[in-house]
Amino acid sequence: MYPAKFKGKWLPLAFLSPTLLILVVFLYYPVIQTFVLSTYRVAFLGLRKHFIGLGNFIELAQDPAYYHTVLVTVIITTAIVVVGMGISLAIALLANQPIKGAPIYHILLIWPYALSPAVAGVIFLFLFSPHFGTVNYLMSSLTGKELNWLGDPTLAILLIIMASIWKNLGYNVVFYIAGLQNINTEILEAASIDGAGPWRKFWSVTFALISPMTFFLLITNITYSFFDIFGMVDIVTKGGPLDATNVMIYNLYRDGFEYYRSGMAAAQSIILFVAVVGLTLVQFRTSGRHVHYGG
Amino acid sequence: MKSTRKLFILAVVMVIALMVVAACASKTTTKTNPAQQKVVTKIVEVTRIVEAAPKENVPKGATVVNFWHAFGGGRKLLIQRMVDDYNYTHAGTYVHVENKGSYRDTLNAAILAAQQGNPPHLVQIFEVGSQLALDSGIFVPFSDVAKPSEYHPDDLIGGVANYYKFNGKFYSMPWNSSNPILYYNKDIFRKAGLDPEKPPQTFEDMLNVCDKIVSSGAAKNCISWPLHGWFFEQWMANMGAELANNGNGRDARATEVNLTSDAAKTIVKWWKEMYDKGYYAYSGKLEDWDGSDAIFVSGQAAMEITSTSDVTNRQRDAKENGFELGTSYLPYPASSVRQGVVVGGASIWLTKGHPQKEMDAAKNFVIWFTNIENAIRWHKATGYFPIRKNSVTVLKEEDWFTRNPAYKAAFDQLLETKPTKATQGAVIGAFPQVRTIVEQAIEKVLAGKASVDDALAAAKQQADKAISDYNKSVK
Amino acid sequence: MSKKTRKELLTHLALIIVSFIVLAPVLFALAKSTQTRAQVYHYPPILGPGTALVDNYRAAWYNFSLGLYMRNTLIVAGVVMFFKTLLSMLAGLGLVYFDFPFKNAIFYFILFTLMMPTEIMIVALFKLVSNIGWGNSYLALTVPFLASATGVFLFRQHFASISPHLVDAARVDGAGPVRFLFSVLIPMSWNTVGALALIQFIYMWNQYLWPLIIIRENTHQLIQVGLRSMTSQQDVTNWGIMMAGAIIAMIPPLVIFILLRQQFTSGFALSQEK
Repeated sequence: MYPAKFKGKWLPLAFLSPTLLILVVFLYYPVIQTFVLSTYRVAFLGLRKHFIGLGNFIELAQDPAYYHTVLVTVIITTAIVVVGMGISLAIALLANQPIKGAPIYHILLIWPYALSPAVAGVIFLFLFSPHFGTVNYLMSSLTGKELNWLGDPTLAILLIIMASIWKNLGYNVVFYIAGLQNINTEILEAASIDGAGPWRKFWSVTFALISPMTFFLLITNITYSFFDIFGMVDIVTKGGPLDATNVMIYNLYRDGFEYYRSGMAAAQSIILFVAVVGLTLVQFRTSGRHVHYGG
Repeated sequence: MKSTRKLFILAVVMVIALMVVAACASKTTTKTNPAQQKVVTKIVEVTRIVEAAPKENVPKGATVVNFWHAFGGGRKLLIQRMVDDYNYTHAGTYVHVENKGSYRDTLNAAILAAQQGNPPHLVQIFEVGSQLALDSGIFVPFSDVAKPSEYHPDDLIGGVANYYKFNGKFYSMPWNSSNPILYYNKDIFRKAGLDPEKPPQTFEDMLNVCDKIVSSGAAKNCISWPLHGWFFEQWMANMGAELANNGNGRDARATEVNLTSDAAKTIVKWWKEMYDKGYYAYSGKLEDWDGSDAIFVSGQAAMEITSTSDVTNRQRDAKENGFELGTSYLPYPASSVRQGVVVGGASIWLTKGHPQKEMDAAKNFVIWFTNIENAIRWHKATGYFPIRKNSVTVLKEEDWFTRNPAYKAAFDQLLETKPTKATQGAVIGAFPQVRTIVEQAIEKVLAGKASVDDALAAAKQQADKAISDYNKSVK
Repeated sequence: MSKKTRKELLTHLALIIVSFIVLAPVLFALAKSTQTRAQVYHYPPILGPGTALVDNYRAAWYNFSLGLYMRNTLIVAGVVMFFKTLLSMLAGLGLVYFDFPFKNAIFYFILFTLMMPTEIMIVALFKLVSNIGWGNSYLALTVPFLASATGVFLFRQHFASISPHLVDAARVDGAGPVRFLFSVLIPMSWNTVGALALIQFIYMWNQYLWPLIIIRENTHQLIQVGLRSMTSQQDVTNWGIMMAGAIIAMIPPLVIFILLRQQFTSGFALSQEK
């Protein structure tokens, strides 16, 4: 594909070796260790352990509560990814209009990204707390109705989704703006001359051209909703009510660090890991196929 | 160009060298050999210089004692001040104090550090972590290290000393001890036409009082307390019911929890009635102390049940929001006799395997930290109990309780507690998990998803399994 | 009014509304950061400024040593940003401008780590890092994060979008790959560098669990752990101070973003197909 290459077999490996070394030592090795740990019944974060083979996995497979956790994760992840990215793209399109002062909007929109998930959680907790939160106060003075945001399972899920989308909005918007600004305007003009309406122009030109960005954001958003959401759930709902927001990463954390079932937590890590890998592979197969990566 | 290239190559070589060290060291995961250790320490030292973090002034030759605790907020600052006092007045010892996040974070960090052979000398551990701490095997009983003549166990208030005695040994030094009391807003009581000096004593009283408060519109809700297993445990003890079998886990390792007992059902039924009638309010989140505080402090409920350790804070809140605060005992069902409460809170544990000199320094610090004067200081600043009888005498001589009646209820409640296995508190290995199971069962009942009997039966099954899993894992 | 200005005005209006919605929670936090504990808990909620602005910010800064934590985090994030960029660039160079066996396999091997967050293997990582002897040092906070799948991915994309003629030209000049990197690639890569630096900075800035367990002394601790120590469960939280801390802690990432924004938006390589 690229005619212009340098020669040498060992040189590129030398260039890659620091990266590979770190990845092998600090990512692959601990992951393998986690695999090993998942076949033990472990006490005290590894102080004592008994080999039990697939025992942890079998127990999870027989636990209806774990299926519930998986289901909750799927719902929350789907909502965050689809709705979050949809809103982000819409905002990015808006902010990418050729108007005066656009950079100011770009700067204003990034703010939520500068907060950690836990801090974002605290803010949302105060906004939505059923008894003294601002949202319920406004709602009751406008409509006379109050909602039990933390006590009602459906509302609690909704709250976590809203907070997570909000927190990640800045990140998505900025990436999308970057993607949109790099679209060659000539292509869009050519499409206009061809008589394409704004809708068609968007789908067949703009959306197609930013598909690599969408793909990249898809992966980061999925990992975000699988893992980074932890701080948010811990602060806002603690996995409740009635386990409604007990996502996989939170369940794993509780087993590992609150209940001292490290083997069980390791088994869940593996499941989570396999799930993310599986999802990403599916994406590579589907959306990824249209995305040309070169090289 | 040439110099850039040289620089670049140098950088790459450095990075690769670093990686090689990392790789070599990581291969020897079980034991690091001294030579490599040296190289690594060198690197660590170099980065230390680069960091140039402000060094604490550790006096030369002083024995350093590391002390980890779980207090954030203003209490962290108070502890730092107390430790500074100690360091200032005790040459030869330097106590290094660190806040390690929540109770759970602190215990986790200590266990992880112990696995690396480098635990802090002193760790604050919450009461439900006691069995975990015992089983972890990283701690040494306090009474093995200190002589009674040094730490005066007889001077400790009965209930406080009881909790931390396991297998006849005094394991850890009680520090922050508390139990739940009733706080109430006297202004709302007056508004509802109730006697502000007569807070409800029993479950039945509570229902009557709440009816008046809510129906008169004096407050939106009657009472709040966090949906936390701790309150359930306290009510069990107050009725003289043991939470776990085998003498609440004190005669032998607990294997079952008594969640289907009549006492348990009485508590949850009352809780449910309070909730259904709109008297009881909580934020909707489990273990949400702040949520209940907010409901009470903002005047949306006339009463709150929470820890005695909040007396000082709650007094400040009442003053700021302009209402008169009262405190009273934890209510109990009229059908039973009030037995008293379990001592909650945490104690200081000593880890094994330090040189004698450090052990002595750590022990001496703990003795000082919990002595008469410091127990008073700690009590006045927080509302946690003064754990020493002599501290109480001093406080009484100062007329402290007369001048600060809010502290009195907390204290009397503890003194009147009858020393039984039930009020001594349960010891369960899987306690953190059992707590969550109980909370979720109550949550289910309140939400109307299960009857009291069904929810408790299911919870018992889950909890017993958790306990058996735990017991298997520590064998 | 022409159609164009009307459209522009509408766009402004829409953007103002959107920005307000996005910013509202932050403004809310800003208001709460000036309130005393009782004001925070007041009902109906007080949405304007409270009376504790100076007290809260002073307490956050002095009593909870946010300055120290922020400085520590800046150092750690700076080191990670620099080396991560360097290593990713080298890897990108190797992947794009050379041919060697198993090239794609190696690329996927790197990309795969995108799905291995520290959280899921933290116990194993803790053991490894403390066995190396890095417990309580900044090495533990930096070295494991120096390699980055995102970085390699971004540089690979970017390098691939640079015209191959440049390589030919460089070879005619007799430049080796290293000189090529410095004289051709890096000057053309500032945008990607900016984008990566921003992502990495915020990633490091938001680290909580790992520094909490691996760093023993709070003088070395990072900002999120510092923030969390304001809300520990064993005392009532003064939310005003906590919010003040959160607002202070927000400033560095925002400054970095504003500084790097131009690089970031004006040439993010992902959408360019060549």
